[in-house]
Amino acid sequence: MSILVGKEAPDFEANGFHEGKFGKFKLSDYRGKCVVLCFYPGDFTFV
Amino acid sequence: MDSVHSHKVWQETELSKMVDGGVPFPMLSDAGGKIGELYDVYNGAVDVRGRFIIDPKGVIQAMEVLTPPVGRNPEELIRQIKAYQHQQATGEVMPSGWQPGDPTLIPSDDLTGHVWEVWKP
Repeated sequence: MSILVGKEAPDFEANGFHEGKFGKFKLSDYRGKCVVLCFYPGDFTFV
Repeated sequence: MDSVHSHKVWQETELSKMVDGGVPFPMLSDAGGKIGELYDVYNGAVDVRGRFIIDPKGVIQAMEVLTPPVGRNPEELIRQIKAYQHQQATGEVMPSGWQPGDPTLIPSDDLTGHVWEVWKP
């Protein structure tokens, strides 16, 4: 397990759904903004 | 993990009933846990509850990882974001339990051993 804090966030591109549309999203496109990246096990989970 | 089509159904059938207008941020699909692997939160079956604060320069400043049964605390997330934004704007550092408006510390060699004199929570 590596220590990720203090390191550059690994860049990625993924398909996504936002404001009613499907599209591609790339982390590095958000450079200059604060980003919160959240992972979760699955849709419709209750927590 | 789920497909963007699943995200759409979840947003339209449930989330939009819990949050006015639905969640306002992009919901991404991490097929096969590939992004989760990059961030060390993929356990071979699912992405566990990992949360990362990435600053405007693209540096990870904070992370929290929970197993699936327990949800996150958005208030603590927002406190951490405000603390990092304050640090990056001023160079000051935020002691334990800091809330916006509370006293901060200015790091220096002279402060060593004297924190108790200047910071009284």
